[in-house]
Amino acid sequence: MRLIVFLVPRFGLAMVTMGGVALLVFVALRLLPGGYADVLLGPYATPEARALIGARYGLDQPVTVQFGKWLGALLQGDFGTSMVTRKPVIDEFLRRAPVTAELATLTLALALPIGGLLGVRSAVAAAGGSRGSFGRLVGALGASVPEFVLGSVLIFVFSHWSLGLRVGGFTPLTQDLASNLRSMALPVASLSVFGIALILRTTRDAVLRVLTEGHILAAVARGETPRHIVRHHVLRNAAIPVVTVTATYFGYLLGGAVIAEILFSVPGVGYYIYSSLEGRDYAVVQAGVLLAAFAFVSLNMLADVAYALIDPRIGATRTRT
Amino acid sequence: MSAIVQVRDLVVSYASGDGPVCAVDGVSLSIGAGESVGIVGESGSGKSTLGMALGRLLAPGAAIEGGDIVVDGQSVARCSAPELRRLRRERLGFVFQNPMSALDPTLRVGRQLALALGREATPERIHELLGRAGLDTPATVARRFPHELSGGMAQRVTIAMAIARRPALLIADEPTASLDASIQGLILDLLLSLVRDTGASLLILSHDLRMVARRCRRTVVMYGGCIVEAGDSREVLAAPAHPYTQALIRAAAGHEGHGGRLTPIAGVPPVLRGRATACAFAPRCAAAQPRCHAERPAERALHGRTVACHFADAVPAQLHAAESP
Amino acid sequence: MSTPGRAILLRRLRRDRLGMLGAVLLLLLLLLSVLGPVLPLGDSTEIGAGPRLGPPTAAFPMGNDELGRSYLPRVVQGIGVTFALSSAAVAITALIGTALGIAAGYLGGVVDGLIARVADVLFAFPALLFGLLVAAVVGPGQISAIVVISTATLPLFVRVIRSVALSVAGREFALAAVVAGASPWRVMAVHILPNIAGAAIVQLTYALSIGMLIESGLSFLGLGVQPPDASLGSLLRLGSVYLNVSPWLALIPGVVLALAIMSVNLLGDAIRDGLEPLRGRALT
Repeated sequence: MRLIVFLVPRFGLAMVTMGGVALLVFVALRLLPGGYADVLLGPYATPEARALIGARYGLDQPVTVQFGKWLGALLQGDFGTSMVTRKPVIDEFLRRAPVTAELATLTLALALPIGGLLGVRSAVAAAGGSRGSFGRLVGALGASVPEFVLGSVLIFVFSHWSLGLRVGGFTPLTQDLASNLRSMALPVASLSVFGIALILRTTRDAVLRVLTEGHILAAVARGETPRHIVRHHVLRNAAIPVVTVTATYFGYLLGGAVIAEILFSVPGVGYYIYSSLEGRDYAVVQAGVLLAAFAFVSLNMLADVAYALIDPRIGATRTRT
Repeated sequence: MSAIVQVRDLVVSYASGDGPVCAVDGVSLSIGAGESVGIVGESGSGKSTLGMALGRLLAPGAAIEGGDIVVDGQSVARCSAPELRRLRRERLGFVFQNPMSALDPTLRVGRQLALALGREATPERIHELLGRAGLDTPATVARRFPHELSGGMAQRVTIAMAIARRPALLIADEPTASLDASIQGLILDLLLSLVRDTGASLLILSHDLRMVARRCRRTVVMYGGCIVEAGDSREVLAAPAHPYTQALIRAAAGHEGHGGRLTPIAGVPPVLRGRATACAFAPRCAAAQPRCHAERPAERALHGRTVACHFADAVPAQLHAAESP
Repeated sequence: MSTPGRAILLRRLRRDRLGMLGAVLLLLLLLLSVLGPVLPLGDSTEIGAGPRLGPPTAAFPMGNDELGRSYLPRVVQGIGVTFALSSAAVAITALIGTALGIAAGYLGGVVDGLIARVADVLFAFPALLFGLLVAAVVGPGQISAIVVISTATLPLFVRVIRSVALSVAGREFALAAVVAGASPWRVMAVHILPNIAGAAIVQLTYALSIGMLIESGLSFLGLGVQPPDASLGSLLRLGSVYLNVSPWLALIPGVVLALAIMSVNLLGDAIRDGLEPLRGRALT
């Protein structure tokens, strides 16, 4: 089946990529000043703890063996132990992941429809002869304002004039939905502007390209209305670059929109990794980077599936009857 | 015979980087109900622009600068957007040169036909249309995607889509140019039989004079945005009056004697910067006189045909004299 | 996609109003940052020159920071540092990325596979998290920022150059050169390189705008430029502490940063449209 022909090699490549990511992180951690044991345990560790770490990670053995042991531990779900809490790092990540996931999902839910709609509108207008400057300007501006600038502005505004949204203070989703959404509103707002701009620009470009294709002329020649053409012919054909960019953007959001979480005191994964860096709890940093990369690679696999579903030419062996 | 299409003094120009270019330079033409007409010309002659203009399908940057086109009583140049869409939907059908790019690559053939049919879309009607377009297994083809079809099959699908709403005029712009030589004749014959069965009119745009003249009742020859000769196909083919038409026939393969040579036309087609003030063909014409370079020839009747040449009646004698034995 | 001549490209650029706006803005900011030390803007190092956290006045057009220094020269200096850092990093990206991209696109095979995998691995790291990692290893600072920006912008750059090189390599003049006996190095340097220049420039501008975003993000987190040096990002970091009291300390660098990045984006858009104008068909 066409899907399998296409996806299996991509899956293999994804595995290779993850292997490369693990290797890079491994090397980076080994480059930290001090031995790996010191890095993980801190300077005040007991000899017994050191011996334990030394055995588990094979610290007196050749580097390749060390990599193997470390990788093996990872694959069993052992991402190391936090120096601060003395508990497995993975537990805290699992606890915080839903928060970051909620932030990312809300941001995307806002950015995708708005950016997509504006992008399509801008492209259709540009093709019709208008300058389309508004779309271009919004796209360029939105992609230029860093989220912490926007966040700072929002904090300033909402600190002085409350308008029903508090700055700081976070209510978990399970506790009170309305309060949770209110505390998410500002970080989502500051994050989504870039996303809107990104998706707007990508959609605009993709739609303009589709509008130069022959089947659009054929559709116009059949007397189809612009709305009909956009809905049935433009959207599917323009979808692929938008899927790519959405996957990349979502991966970035999941990787912990670190700055937004810090600014607005959202107890997510990014906040955790950053504060662990300051506290020299490197096991957390290691795990965070690995998990973020893993999430990104998985998202790309999902995008690949989407491509195959959207465009019937992908993976097809040409059958001429 | 009532005219389905009336073109009156049409002028179409478009903006290019170096200034305005005149693609159609004062063309008048009428097509009657049930008539088959072929417009022949090189690239740049304006034939495609004319064909597209009938549905106001001009490229971005091109505009109708003068004259009018009346299709079924409706002015194409001046009507509103909804009226134009209705015209395109119900009166006109277009077939384009490249069938693969005329089909949406992400949708199955049957679905595309259904979208073209609108309210009439039933599986029976879809299969019927595909069958009439000469496809032997309509149900199978309907499930396919465009990239799974051969060029000839894809063109049959686009023809099926073009006739779906029973147009009064079918316009085919170089419909066989990207197809294998072996099926070119089949596709053209298909177009002719389809319009014969429905009583529609057919307009074929092509660079191949013989192929078109053998199938269409009337042949129109265009050069430099103008009509240079128009009339009954058999007569035009047998005794061409305009030097360009004669040159086209001599340059095309098919009827030369054993060992005879083809005579290509020297020079290149013109790019008109504005409306022509002289005969556009004069620079390449073997029988050109000073008057040809100074005064634009008007169309006049000659032997039951229309010719735009100052010396049409005298030309055959002159050309025979100019040719080497 | 054929590369249009330089004359045509410049004409299209001149007619693009938004692009011209971006170019003018960028030029102004660059001039400001280069000429800054020479202009009479005030002394950025004089502590206590004015009141601490003083609001903008005639004497101090942008107010004073938490140490009483005039803010205007600090902001101008910040523009320069932000540009310099990001440009240095993007220059590295351009050099390495062009070489790798052409090699991958032209040579294909194992070389292509290897380069593509490396690009995929780098691409999988979110820039800021990678920045955390690099800062942990080499310590925070300008070197750290340059490394992060380069590695973050490299994968996309390589991918685009690779795909353009692939299409250029298939064109007749490249094949003709091979037939005439040119070595792969010669083909790549003399024939392929000039024809990817357009795409490379467009990607450079986008990489620059991303680079500036990353640099300011890193500096905002304290991982980039360290005091007493200042980039727009680090000024934002310091300023946001006093957001409620003296908002201009954060808002001014923020606005300037946004304008700088926007000018680069507008210019990049204009160059891209100039190289490959897309005139889609009107739907009416």
